[in-house]
Amino acid sequence: MKNKSQKNLENKISKRFFLLSLLKGTVVGAIGWRFFDLQMIENRKYEKLSDNNQFNFHMISPERGRILDRKMRLLAGNMDGFSLVLKWNKNINVDDIIKKILKIVNISQKDLNKFYEEIKSNKKEFSKEILITKKLSQKDVSKLAVRRIEFPEVSFSMTKKRVYPQGIIAGHITGYIGPYSKKDSKIKIKPNVSWLEVGKAGLEQFFDNELRGKYGRKRNEVTSKGHIIASQIYENTIPGSDIKTSLDMGLQAFAIERFERGNNTLVSIKNKNFKKQIKKTKDINNINKDYVYKDKKNRIVDAQSGSVIVMDIENGEILCSVSSPGYDPNIFSNELETNVWNSLKNNSRSPFLNRSMSGVYPPGSTIKMAVALAALENGIIDYNTKFYCNGFKELGSSTFHCWAKDGHGKLNLMEAIEQSCDVFFYELGLKVGIDKIALMMKKLGLGQFYDVEINDKSKGVVPNIEWKLKRDGLQWSMGETLNVSIGQGYLLTTPLQLTTMVSRIANGKFSITPTLMMNKNQNRFEPLNINPQHLEFIKKSMERVVKGINGTARNYRIGSNKIEMAGKTGTVQVVRISEVEREKGLIKNEDRPWKKRDHALFVGYAPTSKPKYSISVVVEHGGSGSSVAAPIARDIFKYIFKV
Amino acid sequence: MNYKLNKPYEENYGFIFFSKLSKLNFLIIVCIILLGCVGVVSLYSAAGGYWDPWAKTHLIRLIFGISLMLILAFIPHDVFVRLSVISFIIGIISLILIKFVGTGNVQRWITLGGINFQPSEAMKLALILILARYFDHISRIELDKLKTYVIPLFLIFLPGFLVISQPDLGTGLTIILLGLAILFFVGISIKFVVFCFILLSSSIPFIWNQLYDYQKERILVFLNPEIDSLGSGYQIIQSKIAIGSGGFFGKGYLLGSQSRLNYLPEKHTDFIFTLISEELGFIGSISIISIFCILIISVMKISFKVQSLFSKIVTFGIGFLLFLYLSLNIGMVCGLLPVVGAPLPLISYGGTSLLTVLIGLGIVLSINIHDKEVL
Repeated sequence: MKNKSQKNLENKISKRFFLLSLLKGTVVGAIGWRFFDLQMIENRKYEKLSDNNQFNFHMISPERGRILDRKMRLLAGNMDGFSLVLKWNKNINVDDIIKKILKIVNISQKDLNKFYEEIKSNKKEFSKEILITKKLSQKDVSKLAVRRIEFPEVSFSMTKKRVYPQGIIAGHITGYIGPYSKKDSKIKIKPNVSWLEVGKAGLEQFFDNELRGKYGRKRNEVTSKGHIIASQIYENTIPGSDIKTSLDMGLQAFAIERFERGNNTLVSIKNKNFKKQIKKTKDINNINKDYVYKDKKNRIVDAQSGSVIVMDIENGEILCSVSSPGYDPNIFSNELETNVWNSLKNNSRSPFLNRSMSGVYPPGSTIKMAVALAALENGIIDYNTKFYCNGFKELGSSTFHCWAKDGHGKLNLMEAIEQSCDVFFYELGLKVGIDKIALMMKKLGLGQFYDVEINDKSKGVVPNIEWKLKRDGLQWSMGETLNVSIGQGYLLTTPLQLTTMVSRIANGKFSITPTLMMNKNQNRFEPLNINPQHLEFIKKSMERVVKGINGTARNYRIGSNKIEMAGKTGTVQVVRISEVEREKGLIKNEDRPWKKRDHALFVGYAPTSKPKYSISVVVEHGGSGSSVAAPIARDIFKYIFKV
Repeated sequence: MNYKLNKPYEENYGFIFFSKLSKLNFLIIVCIILLGCVGVVSLYSAAGGYWDPWAKTHLIRLIFGISLMLILAFIPHDVFVRLSVISFIIGIISLILIKFVGTGNVQRWITLGGINFQPSEAMKLALILILARYFDHISRIELDKLKTYVIPLFLIFLPGFLVISQPDLGTGLTIILLGLAILFFVGISIKFVVFCFILLSSSIPFIWNQLYDYQKERILVFLNPEIDSLGSGYQIIQSKIAIGSGGFFGKGYLLGSQSRLNYLPEKHTDFIFTLISEELGFIGSISIISIFCILIISVMKISFKVQSLFSKIVTFGIGFLLFLYLSLNIGMVCGLLPVVGAPLPLISYGGTSLLTVLIGLGIVLSINIHDKEVL
């Protein structure tokens, strides 16, 4: 019995033994499979998660490239700055440290507010570097460094600050940089880098990629508590490349000074006679400067606004591009103050508009060369064809006036250009037709963009029959052809386009396109395809504008034996003059409100013997082209050729 | 079985010693030493490449523990039979005592003469011994009757609930599982197994109420780790990252970034295996699991071979205890089981579990030497 029950028990135990072994085997197998799954199959995923734990990456910004002029003068560069950083963690007494620092150096309230905000928003993290201020001078640094032991949590770091030594002189060309925002999403950078600065305007924007260089990365090894235990450069930065522009800062500075003055005279604000008057005229923009302008009637006036462009007619390089009023890009490198920004933004003369590239104006009489060339090229007139000008031209029920009330009498093309006779060009326009005129204008570079290195530019308008039909659904009328023939009406051009037009005429062989870069074009232009004889004739006519007895710019000859300029004046009527007003006699420009005065234009080139540079001067509401714009052009040529 | 017949029959003590030595199971000893060394080496890594504070202490404890084990191996195993009742009673008393004089934020420890001692660990051995003694005693009467199991169930659940209420869910459940496994092993009827299952599942609400909030949270987080990825779920998520990122060959010794940068919690105690998996990879973890398996299989082999029921049950119990330690700990670190707090014997830092396992294996070695083998 005993033996039997024992045998039973042993059998049972053996059975159970194997059952339990099976269970154990299953469990161990499951664990083994789990490890295989985690470590072999899903290894990649967990490796990534582990790296995310171990490392965090910081971008390091490369040094931004410089912008230089043709003589290697600096337009935009970098200045060393120092910033103060707090290595923050939960255990330090921030107020105490800031108090200690404030005893030694000054930190602006704005920076402090920002700093405290950052700390408040930082509750989750264990420790972090927080910027206190960026604006630390070398002196401040040495002062703080001496007493460093008192606040070991604080450290300095070198930063680069963008500076524009030329300031307002080249503001429109250099542009400025500012913090990266979603609006700049064309630029492919990883977002969420708040300190990143990108070009916002001008060359800084156009060449942002080149100037920026390549960002490097710093790899920090961080513990679970957020302490950085090791830090190494993971990817090196590549500094941005320098941009060499074709500008000549000497010329640019001279041009801007000469242009802003116009025909007015400088007065020091300390001048007793003007002190009262200066106080009264609060809406004058240049009130902050130490001088003001006074016109011939002793009124205090603003600096002239408008544009000057000087271009090399052989390679299209722009030597000088003035747009007035301008702005100083340096204000964006420092913390932009609200009142400065507002006064610039709300300024009625819009200083942020780069008038040279994106301002559009009716070209006025400066377009007459294009109309004349259209007529000559199409064989509609020859050099001797004459028209009679009695001061106006009647078309249907409307009357189109010449600027000379009593008319010019009978004259040929050269004389018409010299004296800028409007009636002659009315007749010409009617004969040639708007479509052919538009074709010639486009050939000469109007109504199109160029690949000039500025993003903000306007196309202007060169109207033709199709254009009007598309825009308004209306038929083109003859009267509109008359308006376009003297550069008014729908026709709109930018100063850059006008300069290009003159360059092409003066060059005679190639379709010059403008550029702000040195040695970019290398004379690789398409041929112009205009009869050189006709061009020669037009050039002769333009010479006579300055040299001729009746030339509209005859008072502003350079007067040198070797060098003379040629050109064409233009005066653009801004307000329509009614017949009644005309009967009464026109009010002189100086007596009208500024907004109602005519635009003054001059386009030209020099020297006449062997053209080298072309120019365009546009003075907004400046008065007549011959008396305001031409002398500016003359003085700039005088500066260039040193006569 | 009549274990008193196992008296040495030779007078020469030297001969006795060598004959015992020759019967010593060296495979078990080699496994223990290997695992102990793995422990020292990984604790050295856990401290970031320093002997202090863990590796040195662990080594000392290991040497002490192995010596103790070898001494136990030469003690005739009938001593343990005699000690079984008294050790169980002492265990229960100390578990009750710990409620009043226990140290630590959860009352697990008892301090005796400057040494921290965890009675719940020792209880596991005491339970194995007393169950073995009981069934060995009862075997000649009626093993098939259900009422025979009332006493063992009491013996199992009394310490089990005492430990759970400490509160130490992991150890408490280990004790209960261990006891039930022994009951199953000695041939309990399937009907009874079903009964036990019902009993256990009906006691779940009671156990749940006994649990502290952090334990409840742990179990809930185990069921869905996403609940709290920064709190309780953090441990298991980071542990899985560490294991998974180890890959096949591991990140290299001393190079585990998860542990070095303190992303791993409890890396020197319960999560030591995670550190090993991260640094030594799939190869390392599977090798260590294999060594454990060899150890358990060797113990089981002894259990299969020995003749007396007492020895059979004791060796089986200790083997199963090892298996429970292994599967609970490794199952926990790889996310198969909730984080219940179970050490990995011989490797993780902690004296009591090390001592428990080594004493247990000492008893196994002693049984291997002294008990007659089944022919």
